[in-house]
Amino acid sequence: MAIANESRQEEQNMREEHHGAGRYWLIWVLLLVLTAVTVVTGRIHIPTWGLVLALVVATTKGTLVLLYFMHLIDHRGANRLVFAVSILFVVLMLAIPLVDLGTRYRGATPPGSTMSDMQAIDIGADAQEGRYGGGLRKEGKMGEESGAPRQ
Amino acid sequence: MQSSSHAAGGTLPVPRLAGHFASLEVQNHAARLGMWLFLATEILLFAGLFICYGVYRFLFPEAWAAASRSLDLTMGTINTVVLITSSLTAALAVHYAKEGKNKMVAVQIALTLVMAIGFLVIKYFEYHHKFEIGTLPGRFYSYEGIQLPGVPMYFTVYFCSTALHGLHVVIGMVVLAFSMVRALKKADFGPNNYTMVELGSMYWHLVDLVWIFLFPMLYLV
Repeated sequence: MAIANESRQEEQNMREEHHGAGRYWLIWVLLLVLTAVTVVTGRIHIPTWGLVLALVVATTKGTLVLLYFMHLIDHRGANRLVFAVSILFVVLMLAIPLVDLGTRYRGATPPGSTMSDMQAIDIGADAQEGRYGGGLRKEGKMGEESGAPRQ
Repeated sequence: MQSSSHAAGGTLPVPRLAGHFASLEVQNHAARLGMWLFLATEILLFAGLFICYGVYRFLFPEAWAAASRSLDLTMGTINTVVLITSSLTAALAVHYAKEGKNKMVAVQIALTLVMAIGFLVIKYFEYHHKFEIGTLPGRFYSYEGIQLPGVPMYFTVYFCSTALHGLHVVIGMVVLAFSMVRALKKADFGPNNYTMVELGSMYWHLVDLVWIFLFPMLYLV
């Protein structure tokens, strides 16, 4: 019975559009404004808070899409629960590996990273290539473009 | 519950009410719940890549900043606007499906598909440029302009996440195309029958949602 009530409530919310199509246009304008905010602030490259700001803006945009475009605001208990649980697991999945990395013995992190004292050459990798993970193109192939290898 | 199935227009041929549902409302609710469950798995699928991103950005911050500035921000911004606008048209398609305006449903989905193709074309040019200059994943990386440890890993994450997202764009296009064909041929969407458009549109919004996060993460480090 509870499920039927939930279904009925949801059906009503979805059916009775208290709003016309105007609401979608409004959300669209908001999303564009927030995109502009992301681009403008992102180009400044704010040192510490840049990432936080970008994520806050992206989360706001995502919330608008979820609530209004995907109608989560009209949906009832079960759907919201499913979504909330998925976000909870995303946060857990993100937090636990980062905590692991942040507290690791420095020798156990990849050479060349900020968390390591070693460079790739210290573990026997090629100083010119392996350190960067890639192979520079050989001189013969595209000599004039790449020029001589750096000394 | 009986009254509700009656209110939902029992005389109409569509949508069919499956015998195991008490009413059309319950059936629609179940359809939405199933879609949300599926979208939750999609969110977690992309979350795996976001975690790779987070881990390696934490380890190689300078490489991340340098590599991200080698991307074309203009193209990325245009793609963001295109995708957000396509989300609007997908939402409007559901709106018109509820009102039974099947022509408008087809028009809005067609607009969505055009923008989706635009998105993929822009993405193609971005990929092409990367293959030209050699900012590729792992050992295929051969760009001399940025030589920092961890940069090839940035492009591994970049290609994996944008390619997976691109695949979702294509799948979303196929799903929406089915609704468009139905709106044109059968033209039977209406207040009691719009689940097909609604769920397809939800999938499209998820694609938009993922891009909303990918864009600042990749282009604006």
